[in-house]
Amino acid sequence: MRPLYLTFNVYFAFVRKSFQRRMQYRVANLAGLTTNFFFLLVHIFVYTAFYAASTEPQPLNLNEIITYFVLCQVSFMLMPFWGARSEVTQAIKDGSVALQLTKPVDFHAYWFADECGRACYFLLMRGCPTFLISILFFEVTIPQQFTVFMAFAASMVLAIFMSAAIMITIFSSAFWTLDTAGISGMSGSVIMLFSGMLVPIALWPEWLAHIAEWLPFAGLIDVPFSIYLGKTTGGAILTAIGKQMMWCIIFLGLGRFFLSRGFSRLVIQGG
Amino acid sequence: MIEVENLSKTFKVYHHRQGFFGSFVNLFSRKHRIVQAVDNVSFSIKRGEVVGYLGPNGAGKSTTLKMLTGILVPTSGRVTVNGYIPHRQRKENAKHIGVVFGQRSHLWFDLPVQESFELLQRIYRIPQVEYNQNVEMFDALLNIGKFFRTPVRQLSLGQRMRADIAAALLHNPEVLFLDEPTIGLDVVAKARIRQFIQQINTERQVTVVLTTHDLDDVEKLCKRVILIDKARLCFDGELAALRRLLSTERILSVDYAETYSDISIPQAHVTYQEGNRVQYRFSPEEISTANLIGAILQRFKIVDISVQEPDIEELIKTVYEDNRALEQRFTETDAIDLTNRNT
Repeated sequence: MRPLYLTFNVYFAFVRKSFQRRMQYRVANLAGLTTNFFFLLVHIFVYTAFYAASTEPQPLNLNEIITYFVLCQVSFMLMPFWGARSEVTQAIKDGSVALQLTKPVDFHAYWFADECGRACYFLLMRGCPTFLISILFFEVTIPQQFTVFMAFAASMVLAIFMSAAIMITIFSSAFWTLDTAGISGMSGSVIMLFSGMLVPIALWPEWLAHIAEWLPFAGLIDVPFSIYLGKTTGGAILTAIGKQMMWCIIFLGLGRFFLSRGFSRLVIQGG
Repeated sequence: MIEVENLSKTFKVYHHRQGFFGSFVNLFSRKHRIVQAVDNVSFSIKRGEVVGYLGPNGAGKSTTLKMLTGILVPTSGRVTVNGYIPHRQRKENAKHIGVVFGQRSHLWFDLPVQESFELLQRIYRIPQVEYNQNVEMFDALLNIGKFFRTPVRQLSLGQRMRADIAAALLHNPEVLFLDEPTIGLDVVAKARIRQFIQQINTERQVTVVLTTHDLDDVEKLCKRVILIDKARLCFDGELAALRRLLSTERILSVDYAETYSDISIPQAHVTYQEGNRVQYRFSPEEISTANLIGAILQRFKIVDISVQEPDIEELIKTVYEDNRALEQRFTETDAIDLTNRNT
């Protein structure tokens, strides 16, 4: 039996290469950054207008809302929303996935590592600049307590893992449909809504917020950012993180199941 | 090394209805037909052999290769490579085989060759010393050092193929599967790759299974060929035997010194005549080459004479066009040869 740390070593190398591969495309990154700011501004203007028109106290004040949407743009590219793409899907589509199978590598773990590398890249090259520039122009709140920040970091890492696991689950449909645009577009929109990406769940009507709570997707956006903003505190943080973990494991299992089903019915295109 | 017994693979192919309305109907009911991609194929390959696995497009070559490498699960039959069952022990099997699909690259498209190699070193856990030795050797033979730091997407096809083949051999596999390794390459690049394969085979006793449409590849590299057509095995044996089996007819070209009115010779047919140059077609079974030449020399004065064997390309063409005849002849004559091989 191969020692565990060596196995980990291999997949960690996949994470790094996945990151490195994307470093090749710098102009695309700059263009993406512009898009991030465009959407950030739209969100901020709309909410500023809403808040100016309302006299009632809201669950989140304007600064918190702005911070929330800055964080949304920081993590947008990491999430399985519409427009999310996975290079591995392309490999399934054109059949080069077959080549991966000729290597002594666990495909699900490989794909997961690839998505994690992708997330690291976008966090560093898109997320960080977005955050730093936003601090200059908007009043972004920053957690005052170290423990809050640590809880946020843990929750964010879990959100990234969950995102990768969900992405694999969705995109493994490529084995059946070959084109995932439809499925990923549809599921992406639902996930985007229920994650709290468009409207923070704190502002939702109660019955809808209830549904969101039972769905896994709030774990991607609303859960970590509520911790960041200090809206989730104390024991609730542990519950929230526990829920994220549970969904993470469920989606990893689902993805693994779909992949193994997919491979067993694999008909490689062409070649 | 490789044992294949009664191997079959069937695919379901969905029938798509035509037209706008048809595509609607497709949503609710789909018809399919079963396609037999590989039909009851058996063979056995020993360590150190170089085998050409040939057949026309769609014959089932790649499907067989994919079953040998563990990508596809056979519908029925038995496969073992190195003692492993590829589709059950995919990862174990993968450690001991090298695979090159000529039409696709194993390397990470947007990383330099070196990075891909280092990643492979991790994947296969190749010790540093062994890795360095191999890279050095591949550089000496394939000259990969020149583009070692270049991203794969910027390589020429020849360079990419060299890098791909080197990558497949980094972990010293016992078996190398090559699917059209010289496709699209120029003459020099082809020669270089062939030489490399030959060297690897002799120096390291690597077993090589090669599919190709380039018959030069076969002639330069393979002693043994396996032919499949329409999913079924139709020949397995030495290249020379295949040639013998098929070349029932030969061509004799003669340049006569004078013009003769009657140049006909019993048991040989004139197929071509222009001035004093005449071509006869004859079958060595009816008249031996020596007797035929003797008969000609007795009656005529000649300037030049030559016997041509049909080249391998011609041979394969006849097989593809009519493999029934070959199959029959093969089962009659070389059946003994095959059983010998298997034991």
